[in-house]
Amino acid sequence: MADNHASRAEHWTVLESPDSDAAWGCRVDSVGVKVPAGTLTTRELLGRTKHHTRIQLERLTGIHERHVVGPGENSFTLATGAARDCLAHSEHRAADIEVLISCSITRSRGGMSQSFEPPLSLYVKQAIGATQAVNFDLSNACAGMLTGVFLLQDLIARGEIKCGMVVSGEYISQLGSNAAKQIRSLFSKQLASLTLGDAGAAVILERAPEGAAGIDVIGFTTLAEHSRLCLAFPSTVGPGAQMYTKSRTMQKVAIEDIVPLLAEVLGQAGIDLDDIEYLIPHQTSARAIRKGTAEFARRLGAKPKHVVVNIEENGNTASTTLFVALHKYLEEGRMHKGDRVMLLSIASGIEIGIAILTVDSQVDRYGRTH
Amino acid sequence: MGAHIDAAAALTSHGRRRPNARRLADAAARACLARVGREAGDIDMLINAGVYREDHLGEPALAALVQEDIGANLGQPPVGGHGTFSFDLANGTCGVIGALKVQAGLLRSGVIKLGLTVASDVDPGPSESRSTPIQPIGGAVLLSWDDSIAGFTDFYSETFPEYAGMLVSGLMWRPRRGLRVSPGAAGESRLVIREQPGYLARCVDCAEEATRRFLARLGMDIADIDLLVPAPAAPEFLDALRVRLGVPGDRVSFTGEDMAGAYTAATIAALEVATKSGRLAEARNTLLLAVGAGITVALALYRQAPLPAGQLPDLALRQEGALE
Repeated sequence: MADNHASRAEHWTVLESPDSDAAWGCRVDSVGVKVPAGTLTTRELLGRTKHHTRIQLERLTGIHERHVVGPGENSFTLATGAARDCLAHSEHRAADIEVLISCSITRSRGGMSQSFEPPLSLYVKQAIGATQAVNFDLSNACAGMLTGVFLLQDLIARGEIKCGMVVSGEYISQLGSNAAKQIRSLFSKQLASLTLGDAGAAVILERAPEGAAGIDVIGFTTLAEHSRLCLAFPSTVGPGAQMYTKSRTMQKVAIEDIVPLLAEVLGQAGIDLDDIEYLIPHQTSARAIRKGTAEFARRLGAKPKHVVVNIEENGNTASTTLFVALHKYLEEGRMHKGDRVMLLSIASGIEIGIAILTVDSQVDRYGRTH
Repeated sequence: MGAHIDAAAALTSHGRRRPNARRLADAAARACLARVGREAGDIDMLINAGVYREDHLGEPALAALVQEDIGANLGQPPVGGHGTFSFDLANGTCGVIGALKVQAGLLRSGVIKLGLTVASDVDPGPSESRSTPIQPIGGAVLLSWDDSIAGFTDFYSETFPEYAGMLVSGLMWRPRRGLRVSPGAAGESRLVIREQPGYLARCVDCAEEATRRFLARLGMDIADIDLLVPAPAAPEFLDALRVRLGVPGDRVSFTGEDMAGAYTAATIAALEVATKSGRLAEARNTLLLAVGAGITVALALYRQAPLPAGQLPDLALRQEGALE
């Protein structure tokens, strides 16, 4: 085992792949979501701004509406709802979950706008009956859930556990309400807060049967030179946080720096970008996604077959975007066995996470509810 | 061969009037790297396990800011270069052992070669506080792979959710009242820490129960433990636990008065004492023990002796449902 340490090639990303001499394969067993029933259109949100603005947010971002929590709902209830939905699509029972990681940015529960202790993961595992699971919380901005997947993949690949859950509940629309009270123009650093929507998501990872498809490769890095481009802390205008983002700089840096990282991860998987059936990037704005993927295609000389954009009805649901989108495509029966999917996290930090997975039998458990 | 503790460093804010959790973590990280002559750029993974900060930063992960501050692999990623991956892991006092577990696993897989865990807290003046105030203390611990020792062989964690309400903390919105409240300062999110009487006594019960179960599973006895690295270090917890477990005082890594009130960094403070005194290197079996809100008990066995040839550390993560 130690020989691996000496022989491993240098990577910019911290990389997990079959090359890591893993004992076991790891795959996504099921994905669950909890989207609150309430909605808020971009037109309604902009109608609430304290100052008169002429921001054409819908045209800029492609967001028509976002879902928002109702009374009694919070990060905890969204996380728990998503975890239950995930179990409903799984052959595993709650008692099978050996590790449960809660990964949300927002952690509202009860009367607390942000709870610290005990960790939210403890309450979620108790609520769904996964009482035997080891639990902890993880915080990595909008890359939280994919970071959780990265950690579980290692535990499963080494044979330490067979089944684990990553969960996140984001009641983050408060940031939009707070921003609406302060924004004066298109150039406000709080503009990105107006794109946020609420959602919970959960994913169960399991040991893949011999020869079955699963997570091919997952790589992560933090471009910390740009760690202060998007900061959120408690607001003084209302409950919850306020977020300041240098969106243009962040987008520019991200696109510039992701290309070599994409090349590295694709190289590790031994494939090209055009072997990817669905690229699911972090959902910030339709325009940014289009611009980014066009740049990837230009520099890498290939492009994925489909780029998933589901921002129109959900907005940016923070750490849950990738799995809300994956769930939607599974439910709609768009994915087929053997399809390669790339999940791309871009988050404050700047965190870049790239996972390539091959869809397998989990597609059979979706789409029958409609 | 196993995950080896290269260095541990813990420090206080030296009486600064406005201590800052990030700067404490930065200083601890630099001190820890300097102790073994490593560069910040060598770090593959940086995990922050601290919980309480003066500004309650929600994003990015504090670890990313620490990474920038200490200068770990900044700049554009060239293909074939080397980067650092940073994130926060939160589990109160047990967070550091959780982070060590994550890194021990990734070291074993060969995914990382050097892991740094930082933890720091400051007390931002909670409106309802706990019995022991949180002191501004930061810590950092470096983990790497070593072929000559067993290192971390077993981790164990257990929760006792029937006591989840005994220590609860979070932010609560407090609107400002009065006639001249401006919309820009309509209120503030105040930190509330509610600790019920008898919390530490209950921690002792849970810690004893979990420790006995852990050792029994390993086929070990408390007499096999040469060194106990405990958190928290509060005497009302530690003295009672020592008596209950029957651990003699000379087998406990006690921290100095300057480290009293360390919160998430408490495990690192005790580890620093153990590494500096050379006792960690002498002890065949060291037990790391942390107890925090949940009530959660985290345990780790660190073994100095090499394992018999061909035997790999188990590293198994076990947990017993307390409600079962």
